[in-house]
Amino acid sequence: MSRITLESKPSDGVRELLRHLLDKGKVSAVLAPRRLDDEGSLDLGFITDRSELDSIDPFAPVMIANTAQVLSMITPSSSKIAVVLKPCELRGFVERVKREQGTLDNILTISCTCGGVFPLQKAVDGITGGMTANYYSDLSSEKIHAEIRETCKACEHFIPINSDVTVSLVGEKDLDENCQIYLNSKSASELLEGLGGEIDKKEYDPAISAGLMKKRLAEKERLFNSVFPGKGGIDAVIEIFGKCVGCHGCSRVCPICYCVSCDFESMNFDSDIAYYEKELSQKGALRLPPDTMLFHIGRMIHMSFSCVGCGLCSDVCPADIPVASVFKRTGDKTASIFDYIPGRDLEEAIPVMVFKEEEFSRFVDE
Amino acid sequence: MGSKRNSVLIVGAGIAGIQAALDLAEMGVEVHLVEDTPTIGGRMPQLDKTFPTNDCSMCILSPKMSECARHPGIQIHILSNLKNVSGKPGRFKCTILERAKYVDPVKCVACGLCEDKCPVKIEDTFDVGLRTRKAISRYFLQSIPAEYTIDKDKCLYLTKGVCRICEKTCEAGAINYEDKDREVELEVGAIILAAGIDPFDPIGFGHFGYHRYPDVVTSLEFERMLSASGPMGGHVVRASNGKEPKKLAFIQCVGSRDEGIDRNYCSSACCMFAIKQSIIAKEHIKDLDSSIFYMDIRAFGKDFDKYYEKAEKQYGVKFKRSKVADIIETPEGKLRLRYTLEKGTTQYEEFDMVVLSIGLQAREANQRLSEDLDIRLNEFGFCRSERFSPLMTSREGVFVCGAMNGPKDIPESVVSASGAVANAVRFLDLERQGLPTADESIPEKNVIGQRPRIGVFVCHCGINIAGVVDVKDVAEYAGTLENVEHTEDVMYACSTDCLDTIKKRIEEHDLNRVVVAACTPRTHEPLFRETINEAGLNPYLFEMANIRDQCSWAHMDQPELATIKSKDLVEMGVAKSRGLQPLERLPIEIDPKALVIGGGLSGMTSALSLADAGHQVYLIEKEDELGGNLRNIFFNFDDKDPQVFLGDLIKKVSRHKMIEVLKGAEIEDISGYIGNYKTSLKAGSGKEGRLLDHGVVIVATGGEEHKTEEYLLGKSSRIVTQVEFERMLHEKDFPAGKLKNVVMIQCVGSREEGRMYCSRICCSKAVKNALELKKVKSKTNVYFAYRDIRTYGFSEKYYTELRDEGTVFLRYTPDSKPVVELIDEDVTDSRARVTVFDPIMDRDVVIDADLVVLATAIDAPEKNEELAKKLKVPLNADGMFLEAHVKLRPVDFATEGVFLCGLAHSPKDMDESQAQAKAAASRALTFLNRKAVLAEGTICQVMTDRCSGCSYCESICAYSAIEVDPEKLVAVVNEALCKGCGACVASCRCGALDLRGFTNQQMYSVFDSLDLVITEKVGD
Amino acid sequence: MDKKYVPRITSFLCKWCSYTGADLAGTSRLQYPTAIIPIKVMCSSRVDPVFILRAFLKGSDGVLLGGCHPGDCHYETGNYHTRRRFAIVKTVFESLGLEAERIRLSWISASEGPKFARVANEFTETIIAMGENPVKKKIFL
Repeated sequence: MSRITLESKPSDGVRELLRHLLDKGKVSAVLAPRRLDDEGSLDLGFITDRSELDSIDPFAPVMIANTAQVLSMITPSSSKIAVVLKPCELRGFVERVKREQGTLDNILTISCTCGGVFPLQKAVDGITGGMTANYYSDLSSEKIHAEIRETCKACEHFIPINSDVTVSLVGEKDLDENCQIYLNSKSASELLEGLGGEIDKKEYDPAISAGLMKKRLAEKERLFNSVFPGKGGIDAVIEIFGKCVGCHGCSRVCPICYCVSCDFESMNFDSDIAYYEKELSQKGALRLPPDTMLFHIGRMIHMSFSCVGCGLCSDVCPADIPVASVFKRTGDKTASIFDYIPGRDLEEAIPVMVFKEEEFSRFVDE
Repeated sequence: MGSKRNSVLIVGAGIAGIQAALDLAEMGVEVHLVEDTPTIGGRMPQLDKTFPTNDCSMCILSPKMSECARHPGIQIHILSNLKNVSGKPGRFKCTILERAKYVDPVKCVACGLCEDKCPVKIEDTFDVGLRTRKAISRYFLQSIPAEYTIDKDKCLYLTKGVCRICEKTCEAGAINYEDKDREVELEVGAIILAAGIDPFDPIGFGHFGYHRYPDVVTSLEFERMLSASGPMGGHVVRASNGKEPKKLAFIQCVGSRDEGIDRNYCSSACCMFAIKQSIIAKEHIKDLDSSIFYMDIRAFGKDFDKYYEKAEKQYGVKFKRSKVADIIETPEGKLRLRYTLEKGTTQYEEFDMVVLSIGLQAREANQRLSEDLDIRLNEFGFCRSERFSPLMTSREGVFVCGAMNGPKDIPESVVSASGAVANAVRFLDLERQGLPTADESIPEKNVIGQRPRIGVFVCHCGINIAGVVDVKDVAEYAGTLENVEHTEDVMYACSTDCLDTIKKRIEEHDLNRVVVAACTPRTHEPLFRETINEAGLNPYLFEMANIRDQCSWAHMDQPELATIKSKDLVEMGVAKSRGLQPLERLPIEIDPKALVIGGGLSGMTSALSLADAGHQVYLIEKEDELGGNLRNIFFNFDDKDPQVFLGDLIKKVSRHKMIEVLKGAEIEDISGYIGNYKTSLKAGSGKEGRLLDHGVVIVATGGEEHKTEEYLLGKSSRIVTQVEFERMLHEKDFPAGKLKNVVMIQCVGSREEGRMYCSRICCSKAVKNALELKKVKSKTNVYFAYRDIRTYGFSEKYYTELRDEGTVFLRYTPDSKPVVELIDEDVTDSRARVTVFDPIMDRDVVIDADLVVLATAIDAPEKNEELAKKLKVPLNADGMFLEAHVKLRPVDFATEGVFLCGLAHSPKDMDESQAQAKAAASRALTFLNRKAVLAEGTICQVMTDRCSGCSYCESICAYSAIEVDPEKLVAVVNEALCKGCGACVASCRCGALDLRGFTNQQMYSVFDSLDLVITEKVGD
Repeated sequence: MDKKYVPRITSFLCKWCSYTGADLAGTSRLQYPTAIIPIKVMCSSRVDPVFILRAFLKGSDGVLLGGCHPGDCHYETGNYHTRRRFAIVKTVFESLGLEAERIRLSWISASEGPKFARVANEFTETIIAMGENPVKKKIFL
């Protein structure tokens, strides 16, 4: 499709772009990360007043809430909305749309090639401000920033899939005065007509960020190999999830866990006293509340093939369990048996909704 | 004159009578079931197991007996006989004589105290004299009705005026010595005779020493010995010394295939009966040596040959082709058999016990019935019926089924019974039935919100369960489980008294859930559900634990572990039952139209029966002509021309205003469910596609002649199949003017690897054609190369006739098949040299044949597979359609509303195809004659507040029974379409769906309750 | 007195095929170990993959899932869904290094009594060779 080049910081360029959309009435509202202070505290702002746009920090390396979940709240929208979001958030939302939890109609998605985000705790502590300078230079030089989350370091989907607008950050030089905006859809081209800047017919070329991709893939392999001590096994699983406090925060922030309320919190899994007595008589001890492993492994069975690796689950875990790494590791495998990439294509059916008459014979005694 | 009656009188309450009664009652017809003995059930209750599945005979029969007794439309007249019939079909006037019972059936509680005290011992007819009973007794322990009766010829008071002990014993005051015989007048539209058959009495067979040597027994006696509920509790011992026999012999054809005693027919069932008994006996007695002495093994039914193979190869039963001359008891108490082999050599062998496989013979009572009712009997005293009207008697409106018109096994009896019903309905005033109105007298108890109060009943099933599992221990264990208010062990949970006990316990203990640990829910769940319903509980408050089929039978050598497993299964059942909720069933409307697939003899017969009963029928035929395989049949044993019959049939079908014949039709797709099917026919070659709505489907797709090149078929015009030969005979156009030698080779493709079944009709067909050949060319030498001659039933006499004509019979075995060579390879009509090893002469016989006729097998059409998929019905290993139950549901599929008949089921003769076609029609009528049936209660439900509207369920449901409501954004179930499979429930991530009767909570509680730490004691 | 460990295999069997096949195995008196604990379901697709996980975590030494052969499903397509779900569970187990051999999916038709007995025997042997499910002894689950 086409590319607009602005001689400005990418964040200024995007604010400019959003201002244009609001001023020209091309969108009725903007959903984007908003800076609360200079230390790095953020929230998601849903904005119609152009004066509020100044506080928007579109590429802040923090994920305060998953935009995919938020989008389910505000769609379907009767008027056009511009949304600034990370590639994983967009993929997460595509997965949600497949599950009828919102729609991409009337949404203009603006994303960037993503350098990853800092752990939420660092943002909460207000210390990200000091690290950002370094962050942007690492983007230019295609380095993996040392302070970003483990899952981000291992993410190979940092180039947005299906975004209307892609702002190129990774591998771009002079990010103080170079804003490359790729318009990937017809609607993006129409809406951004008259924005100004230099326009040429160019599509995003993955070669721009190939260096980072290489590093990320290597990091992914390292991470997945190191998540589990040894070959895994029940003891390893217990070691990892043994610290779980049972808050289920991981499922609450998960873009794929769309359920009204989690099945694992339903009465289906309640046991009566007689049952615990029986368990006790056989084992001599029990940990309560029960079913921690059931919850985590069960959740993997429910959603891992759709896991987009956004990392929020790890962010919110009060016990510092590397939930995201473990889930993404398993999710990669469950998705790959179906050749499935979560969020790749809205038309690609969720693996458990369809079947082929001949498949998976290796799993069955025929 | 008056209109037709909507009632039928059935004579005889064996399995045939019962089946006919149930079919009719389902159609809303009033039935009078007239039975000579004090119970319904007939012969089946005497049997231990049934071939070829080794199903427990009583287990499969008893639900039907109970259903019969419970059905409001069936009136049972025990100790009764039909005396006189006047009037016309549609409005017969019948007189039945009900003999005095001397016990008031209303007051009798069948406690059995009277029998305990009665001083008069008499021979027990049910146990064929192997034990005694009293003058007041119950016919057998599961008899229906359960009430006792007095034998007036034996009772001391009734004969000599003294005693009256039973009267004093009976606390219920049920004894009534003043009871009188009475005549009952009934008006019925039609009469069905199902008076059964008798076993041959070998008392005159002195050379076998029956009654002289205690260890010579009849097969029926042996069956009672094998039966767990029999006089020996299933433990077979020699009467002479009380020890287990180690060596057992069966002598076949005792009273069958014997011109000398006027039994020139084959009893059809005895070969399989002996094979079954030898298998079961080997299961009972370790290292038993068992031999069967026979002339031909006639394993001609569906899957029979596989059973025969299994007996020989797997169980090591010895089959000895020979004639037994006599039996002599040795001084050591052994039985010495003298027998002659085929070769003519005489041999001797000693046995511990000999079973005489007695034949079946016409009942003496047939004679009287024939006179009273004015119906004709055949030369052997069986009720006479014709090949093209196999279920009709010589009197209009009077039909015959079961073994009364010829020896039959159980499924054939069931088929003929349903078939007779299809004939009878023509004389009835059928009316489509509405839904049964709920029985207001038993209001359903409201159990919602109540704490579970569970009753557990653990069944012994004779020794089927109790022989392995410690039933009392299991019952006691059940009593320790939470919410279990009552537990008890019972002998036969399915017997009417036990069902009454269950009802009583529900009252006594205010039970609101019932668990029965017994056989399999597949056969018995409906019975128990109905039972608790009769006690005011919703039928879904019932759960079953399968401790027989999947426990005691599968773990016979591990009684301790089997007992532990039984406890687990009971505990799991109890766990599940806690979560059971009352469910409702929705009515499903029935479209009264039928689709019949296949326009051969079977299809046309079915179509005609349905149309005559007033229902619209679509008859589809893949070819452009009706008739199927019958078009190739020109001769019949009894001179009637099959082609004339076929012509008439086609005319009737084509002209019937209720039948639409669709020729050259191909099915595109079949969708829907019972009562609401939609079938689309392919468009093409000038035809428009069609979409047919119908309520039921009958599969009558027929069979195909086996294609082969064996025996050089196709290499010379003188090597032909029996089908081709029959046409030659008909057209009197043979490939050679002179037919000096004709060789017939049997079992071409049948009974061998890949087609391990008998094609059933080839022996009779070959005999028939050979006789026809003899008529036109009397000097021709006919050679008959065979493995076993299987001219079962009344075809036997034609085999005898052919033998008497001088035909040479040469028996071959599969490892020394006949060899056929062309004499002149260069011509297309070469004569053939056939070499057959003759075991009688013990050498090869070489015949230069002018014609070789091959009896090629009957194959299942390949297209069966496609149709089976469309209909969602199964095929057996041979590609033939597989019925719901080989014994008692021979024309039904497990899928409701789909039926089968004819060669699609298995190879069979014309009369058998017709009977089955009528049976399929009758079974279909049980649905078509109702405006609606009730859907299952186990269907999906949505917990709306948990539903996220994600549409997983919608994409998964194969029936489009669940959809996300576009307004409310939550899933909604179409309860009429839901089949209750639970596929959507398991797909629901949110826990918003559940399957009634199999809820998530129930399922979790079931396997959570499983005790997982089990250790087996080893050593002591 | 010596004691031998007897495994427990939670076996979900679809009513129309595998459960009927298991009945047939019994009717044919085919012998197999008592380890097999049958649970009747209407269709193999009724078995929520979490059932398998739950049974495993509760300490079942093995979990057997029996369904109709592909194309034979009484409910048209249920077993195809079963197969996909089972593939997911198996893959999750494999990825976590849990003993995936303890869970098994078999197609057993109503006429395959011998196959049922064979699967029951084989699977029990496999499980005995693997030993008790270690999960059984874990306190924190």
